[in-house]
Amino acid sequence: MRLLLLTIFLFSLLHAESGILDITWPKPNAKHQKPSTPYPTVLTNGIANTKLPVYLPTSYVYDKNMAIVSNSDFYTISFTLKGAMIMVAGDKTYQESISKNDPKFEALTQDSSNMEFMQEEGMMSVDFNRHGVNYSLLVECDKPKTDTRCTEEGFLKEIYKRLIMVGGQP
Amino acid sequence: MKIVLILALLFFTACEKKPKVDPKPPIQAHLGKKFTYYQSGQLRPSSSGIGRQGDHYIYAPNIRFPLESAPAYINSQVYGIGGLHGPKGSLCDQRNYQYPWSDNYCETRTWNMPLCPGGTGHQGVDIRSSTCEKRKYYAVAVEDGIISYIGKYTVTLRGVSGRKYRYLHLDSPTVQVSRGQRVRRGQRLGLVSDNMGKAKTSIHLHFDMKQTIKIDGISKQVYVPPYASLVVAYKRLLQGRP
Repeated sequence: MRLLLLTIFLFSLLHAESGILDITWPKPNAKHQKPSTPYPTVLTNGIANTKLPVYLPTSYVYDKNMAIVSNSDFYTISFTLKGAMIMVAGDKTYQESISKNDPKFEALTQDSSNMEFMQEEGMMSVDFNRHGVNYSLLVECDKPKTDTRCTEEGFLKEIYKRLIMVGGQP
Repeated sequence: MKIVLILALLFFTACEKKPKVDPKPPIQAHLGKKFTYYQSGQLRPSSSGIGRQGDHYIYAPNIRFPLESAPAYINSQVYGIGGLHGPKGSLCDQRNYQYPWSDNYCETRTWNMPLCPGGTGHQGVDIRSSTCEKRKYYAVAVEDGIISYIGKYTVTLRGVSGRKYRYLHLDSPTVQVSRGQRVRRGQRLGLVSDNMGKAKTSIHLHFDMKQTIKIDGISKQVYVPPYASLVVAYKRLLQGRP
């Protein structure tokens, strides 16, 4: 029984509970945060109470089907292009906390890259970390096997370059 | 002469190559339904890749099984019968619709996957519903949460845990939820199909789980192994307490 309890205790140490990440807020930069035209009301309302830096690309956002889903911990903005959908998401929560010495996660702990492009199930995505927050960009296509936006990194890289901070509050 | 023949027969019998015995046979779950499954990380067939062996951790405890009803079958779409790299035959072959389950997280793909042994692999698991019929079986929410994204053939649920669950290939016209909608554990999302935009895939649900792992001072988003969590969830479903 003691051994069992000890095992459970050690296992719980290995996989600590979830929580909120520490954010280092960027200094406001009006030049970089001002879109060329005002963002639609649905967006400004949606991000009003989001307590993490909200990033969006400077273009592609003025779509009538654009939707934002958010609360204080995360946001997901999605909009359509011809034959494709774009998703931009940020999240400041974590679900596991591990030690960098944990051998099971060696590949993760040794990977120092801050940006990871991934081919997915007919999609292309990139995960990156800024200010301590984890963000994702994703493009999903009508024709996932032939549309180069979903088979090559170039399109998503262009969107990534155009990201600006448009809202959020500490 | 007879003695020589008998000795020769005995010799050849002894030398005969014995069939490989699987070191880890399927686990029997005695639930009255004969549910059997291979351990997490044990991919079948072995030519389908190297799984994340030894990691039996349940990353998403207490989730509901993502299909509303049993039986359901987790096995390879690509390397199963009728699959792209599988034995010739129909994708609807009954042998694809039977236990034991086998994990297909980390199955051979070219996609970056830091938790897979080779650094690439399948990001989730493929699940077949009870029968090979599309638009008949519901996928359901695995935990309370909010629908954060609906794409061309993807529905994403952000659970109250913060974990993101993706359901791929649901039939778009039957999707019963909308972006921003709060859902309850077990709530219907849509019907399992072969939807992949204007392309088609086999009839199945691709299910994956993405979560953030904090490693001392840094954090990373990663697709974690769902199989062990699904085995537990499925046992609960079979026991009538999903």
